[in-house]
Amino acid sequence: MTAPAPGLTDAFWAAASRRELVRPVCRACGRNFFTPQVACPTCLSEDWTYEHSAGRGRVYSATVVHKPPSPGFAVPFRLGIVDLDEGWSILTEFVDGPDGRLPAIDTPVQVAWIERDGRTLPAFTEVLP
Amino acid sequence: MRIDEVAIVGVGLTPQQKRSDRNSLQVALDAAKLALADAGLRHTDLDGIAARWPGPGGTVLAPGSADWSTLLGVPLDWIGDSYPQGVPALLDAAGAIMTGQATTVLITGGQAGVLGGGSVAAYTQPGNEFVAPFGAFTSAHFALVAQRHLARYPHARQGMAEIAATIRNVGAANPEAVMAGRGPYTAEDVLAATPIVDPFTLLDLCLASEGGAAVVVTTLQRARDLPHPPVVVLGAGMEWLRQQYVDPARYEQAWTIGSRAAAKAFTQAGLGPSDVDVAQLYDVNSLEVARQFEALGFCGPGEGTDFALATGIGLDGKLPTCTDGGLLACSHIGWGGPTLKLVEAVRQLRGTCGDRQVAGAEVAIASGAGSGAQYYNLALLGRAR
Repeated sequence: MTAPAPGLTDAFWAAASRRELVRPVCRACGRNFFTPQVACPTCLSEDWTYEHSAGRGRVYSATVVHKPPSPGFAVPFRLGIVDLDEGWSILTEFVDGPDGRLPAIDTPVQVAWIERDGRTLPAFTEVLP
Repeated sequence: MRIDEVAIVGVGLTPQQKRSDRNSLQVALDAAKLALADAGLRHTDLDGIAARWPGPGGTVLAPGSADWSTLLGVPLDWIGDSYPQGVPALLDAAGAIMTGQATTVLITGGQAGVLGGGSVAAYTQPGNEFVAPFGAFTSAHFALVAQRHLARYPHARQGMAEIAATIRNVGAANPEAVMAGRGPYTAEDVLAATPIVDPFTLLDLCLASEGGAAVVVTTLQRARDLPHPPVVVLGAGMEWLRQQYVDPARYEQAWTIGSRAAAKAFTQAGLGPSDVDVAQLYDVNSLEVARQFEALGFCGPGEGTDFALATGIGLDGKLPTCTDGGLLACSHIGWGGPTLKLVEAVRQLRGTCGDRQVAGAEVAIASGAGSGAQYYNLALLGRAR
């Protein structure tokens, strides 16, 4: 697994290790963005900071991976994109949920956490009514 | 100098195989020799190259393009570290030729001795920290686009399977294809094949194979003295949304990628989609073929699979597509894969395709990458008048 770029993403993974989800927010224009970049992709300001995320959003897209991308990945697993309520998106895995089903597009989800290869990763699970 | 005064005069294809006992540099050199011989030229006639050094090994400083001059034993006037090959390298070469930096440019590449077994090919898995831990790979990125499309147009799943079966059956009849003699396949076979990443089964997805491919590009003026009828660049276009395979594609944005590039290419050529005789579309998966019919203006939004079925994309159809069997059945050789599209387009336009020749082919599309990759490029090629 590739080491995070020094500086830019350390705070993201440090927060994740505490099971706190954070996201880059631009101080100049207020936009959220992800993945972390040197500058805000909306206004190009380098003045951005990590802020706490409520970790709630909706499924943008979801799929089931049947073939392991590399040895050590248990299949099948559920891969997808979540649009967070704060206005940013993340590639992630879906865990738990009713019958282990694949959540449909627009299903409300919330962050859950999984441990993999010594790292705590943000996964998501369906918000049940 | 106009773009249609830039000509492809040589094409070279090494044996395409599931696994090769050679390495990437060797197959790139093999392909280069074949393309030069096809062009009636010697390596000493080259003064430019558009190719990324494939390894193994490399120069002390990356990139390694400068080392091509050592390998070929010729000093060069111009080098381009073109990635990927195919249309982007063709446009790099055209730019060098049109600006007077070079007259005869080699494009070569491929992969060999790099594919292992068991898991998906290593080059399809970016090492990015927000991608690798989640197990994403290239086909998964395309799948996340496809899932949104199918949620809106569920009937497209059957059309995808028909497209995959058609192209695979075309490839089965191409003796140079990795899947030569395999099949025939039906849409039902495609749907029932081993699932890889929903909605794609094994038969919806392109190969990961080994081999080399090369083309030689020069001026139309010089091309007129060479053995084959020159094939010229009538128009071209490229689009880039963002770094491929890191931030996943947004369907609303990525589904139409190629529309602006196609509009530019068709305008440049003074042609429209109905003028295209053969379409060497970048078929990384079955749905991408349908997507390109929509994005390139052959049909309306959501009509891609219906267009393919109604028009006919086999050799007996009105728009023969991926006439060598494409990436699905002929070969896909990493960043040399897009060059395969140029090779087959040129062969069809020369009329040298034998049993799979499309009668009267005068205008061809060659394209590269697609929605999940978040970049796209295409060229319109034609016989010089």
